[in-house]
Amino acid sequence: MNENIFTNIYNKVLGFFRQTEREENAKDIACNRLRVVLMQDRTNLTPELMDRMRKELIELLSKYVEMDKEALELNLEQDGDQMALMLSIPVLRARDEEEIKAELAAEDAEKEEVLEAAEDSDDEPDENQTEAEIENEDKDESEDNKAVDIKVPDKEETSSQEEEKTKK
Amino acid sequence: MQSCIIPETSALSEQDKKGETMNGRVIVITSGKGGVGKTTTNANIGTALARAGKKVVMIDTDLGLRNLDLLLGLENRIVYTIVDVVEERCKLKQALVKDKKNPNLCLLAAAQTRDKTAVTEEQLKNICEELKKDFDFILVDCPAGIEQGFQNAVAGASEAIVVTTPEMSAVRDADRIIGLLESKEEIKSYKLLINRVRPNLIKSNDMMSVEDVVEILSAKLIGIIPEDTGIITSTNKGEPIVNDEKSLAGKAYNNVARRIIGEDVPFLNLEDDTSLVAKVKKFFSGLMGKEN
Repeated sequence: MNENIFTNIYNKVLGFFRQTEREENAKDIACNRLRVVLMQDRTNLTPELMDRMRKELIELLSKYVEMDKEALELNLEQDGDQMALMLSIPVLRARDEEEIKAELAAEDAEKEEVLEAAEDSDDEPDENQTEAEIENEDKDESEDNKAVDIKVPDKEETSSQEEEKTKK
Repeated sequence: MQSCIIPETSALSEQDKKGETMNGRVIVITSGKGGVGKTTTNANIGTALARAGKKVVMIDTDLGLRNLDLLLGLENRIVYTIVDVVEERCKLKQALVKDKKNPNLCLLAAAQTRDKTAVTEEQLKNICEELKKDFDFILVDCPAGIEQGFQNAVAGASEAIVVTTPEMSAVRDADRIIGLLESKEEIKSYKLLINRVRPNLIKSNDMMSVEDVVEILSAKLIGIIPEDTGIITSTNKGEPIVNDEKSLAGKAYNNVARRIIGEDVPFLNLEDDTSLVAKVKKFFSGLMGKEN
């Protein structure tokens, strides 16, 4: 019993100093570490796969915007009950209409070549399944470059909603 | 005339009885991580359910590492084990060991000399089906891990209780188990039991709280069991702590049993600090006229 009282006082005194020294306590650290590790456990996404996803996304998005490939961030995060894939892309310059058209035309031509070579034009993969909801929001930030945040709810694979926020 | 009618009606009522007791509930108690209190939970919930008048059988599926018999103080009474039943050296009913105090409570022990491969999922399922006819509750004590032993234990169950503690490794393993349970069609529902909760550590923000664990695992809660040194003595005596009316952990386990039966029992308030420091603090805050 005596020991209990002393450890109690000790914990309280220690707790007092800890709280003043740094904001994060053992409990918060545990919660945060667990959230991150559980997200990795639940998705089965290895670092290699994440890297591959990153590369493929850069390839895809480069057609539409010119971006800072090095600064692109792709992270799994907890968003309330849902797991979210957070993608942050610093945009260096928006491509103009003609550029985008030219890129897409070049890609289409490439695809056709591939299809002709394979002589199998029946099942062309439909790449435009996802309907992207684009929202433009004004943000006052001192940074010069623009960034795109895309949030993809993890659970809905087929009808993934994409929220795009562009900074002006 | 009458003698002709009586056997007929009695036969009918016997059938009725069988029909009535057919729907025993099979609950697997699992955790992933070892040492979080699966077996203790099993022994206590089983005993509490039996004390509430239910017919309960506990199956220890931890082949090679059996312990449920020790916690119940039945280690000297085991003649046949689950492996003997499966290999047809005895009838299922012969292998059931009755509890010393409570005739409503039975144990089907694990074999100590065999490994997890001695029993298959199908065989366990059949045993559960058979026991459903005669018991209200079949509690399956699952071994640690996610290998064959886990698969076997889960095979016959339709409900699960996931035992965890407010520690990172236990919560992580519980999350893994929940993922596996969700992929099993037979498991209709699973609930979380948080064991070894230490209110003092939670208060000083040194340990994850019950709310934290529930939020992280997003699972429904069925019980909060405080850390209790009485568990050690009760294990040593081979007597589940629910038999001790004064014990807080015993009370908490009794509440879990009542919730399983379907009663709406509020969770125990573990925050009530009964230590001397708290009492002194309360006394002074009373003098100062502060309301807490």
